[in-house]
Amino acid sequence: MSREPRIRLDRVGKWFAAPTVAGKRTDALSDVSFELAPGEFVCLLGPSGCGKSTILNLIAGFEQASTGRVLLDGDPIREPGPDRGMVFQQPMLLPWLSVRENVTLGPRLAGQTPARYLPEAERHLRLVGLHDFADHAPWQLSGGMRQRAALARAWLPNPEILLMDEPFGALDAQTRLSMQELLHDIWRDTGTTILFVTHDVDEALFLADRVLLMSARPAGIRAEIIVPFGRPRDPEELVADTDYGRIKRDILHCVREEAARSLALDPA
Amino acid sequence: MTLESELTLEPYQGPAAEERTAAGPRPSRQPSRGHRHWPISVASVILFIAIWQLSGSLGWVDPLLLPPPSEVFRTATELALSGYRQTPLWQHFLISVARALSAFAAAIAIGIPLGLFMGILPMLNAVLDPFVQFLRPLPKIALIPLVVVWFGIGETSKFFLIFISSFLSIVVGAAASVTGVSQGRIRAVQTLGASRGQIFLYVVLPNALPELFTTVRLSVGIGWTSLIAAEMVAANSGLGWMVINAGTYLRTDVVLLGILLLGLTGYLFDWVLTRLQRRFAPWAGKDA
Repeated sequence: MSREPRIRLDRVGKWFAAPTVAGKRTDALSDVSFELAPGEFVCLLGPSGCGKSTILNLIAGFEQASTGRVLLDGDPIREPGPDRGMVFQQPMLLPWLSVRENVTLGPRLAGQTPARYLPEAERHLRLVGLHDFADHAPWQLSGGMRQRAALARAWLPNPEILLMDEPFGALDAQTRLSMQELLHDIWRDTGTTILFVTHDVDEALFLADRVLLMSARPAGIRAEIIVPFGRPRDPEELVADTDYGRIKRDILHCVREEAARSLALDPA
Repeated sequence: MTLESELTLEPYQGPAAEERTAAGPRPSRQPSRGHRHWPISVASVILFIAIWQLSGSLGWVDPLLLPPPSEVFRTATELALSGYRQTPLWQHFLISVARALSAFAAAIAIGIPLGLFMGILPMLNAVLDPFVQFLRPLPKIALIPLVVVWFGIGETSKFFLIFISSFLSIVVGAAASVTGVSQGRIRAVQTLGASRGQIFLYVVLPNALPELFTTVRLSVGIGWTSLIAAEMVAANSGLGWMVINAGTYLRTDVVLLGILLLGLTGYLFDWVLTRLQRRFAPWAGKDA
């Protein structure tokens, strides 16, 4: 990659102290290194419990690496900040605020005046199809609508990088597909760097420029797949592509191998 | 392939369309179990009053031991017109409510901020918690001799006894209310750039509000209970005093009337607070 990386993980290790047994520790990550170029869409794919979310938490600044370095534009990440937006598996909207108040939370926390952030906020609300529901309470919306509000909320402050932790994992298949298309379209228009955690191979192949396959715990990057499909992508044309089945089979093979290994590690 | 013709039944109308019809905004409904069954509650109360009346009218029970509702009602009108021990009934009622409300107001105004600070500052909690936990379960009647020595037999001692019992339970409840906030919500606003103060204002405090209302409801109930203890301190007015005084003269009708008024007022306090809770914290128990 010729351009300066936006995010760089350099031989990152992370372990957690076991809560019950003193001195015993659980290794979550061992020796993870990768880079994200500006504007790149990268999916982290791996068996559940392999430490994908831990990587996001390190970049978000919620946790610190035990060894190695996590860098944003060359500077070590110490704490969470608005330059790294995040969409969680659950929408994590605040039920005491309306949909609009939730979506505009970023600029309001930064002390911006409504005149400055409202036009852009209304555009975002329209973009995610929630303009008519802006004054509703979030708990009055369906799961998919809530997650769209969470997406708009994370995107409105225009973060340099968007971290997404299985954001569509809790949605039904149809809603998930339309959310993926929506995300794809917004990303294409904004050029935000995205790191997207998933265990869904189809999702990764539809969205990503690059897929990083993770190994079982303690997790490292096992393989890197450059997704060869051009953009814009159409989910129907994609599955008809002859390369698609082959790539998916290779990835599934690795994922299943790692899943089996992680089962062997945790006999319980 | 015939599959395609079967699949494309309707033109696609964008990602929002199907959800709007299928799962669009649900009407906001409060899960109010008490509401649906209110006719049963009303019938139950009416039945109870009827049996109570019959027990007197048919001579099942000595009216001195249990005066029937008709007699309690007669006493109520009599006391309303001519008063009890030179003081009109409404004045007994109002003085008790005034004592309680002023003590509640002070307990809420001091107890909630103190409890919140204890909840977010472990050091402060470590300093104060032993005293709070020692005093809270203490029967407040045991404090009466000391309170009289400290504050005399005027209004201050009555205020203090109601205040201290509701205050302690508010402090404990407020401290607990801020600890139950989910890590996910805090992280979500952290990624939006929230400072520690903003996390408290935007997440911790609203998250605690429903529980604060519940705490106040419970504490008001506890404070109202200690009204009798407060009015045992050399009073000559108030509903609590009226009940105790009437008891020494075997005026069981006045005692029952006092008990009814005390109970109904406590019920009213709780009703008002429940309405306020629904109005100002409608997100109680809602996930988003």
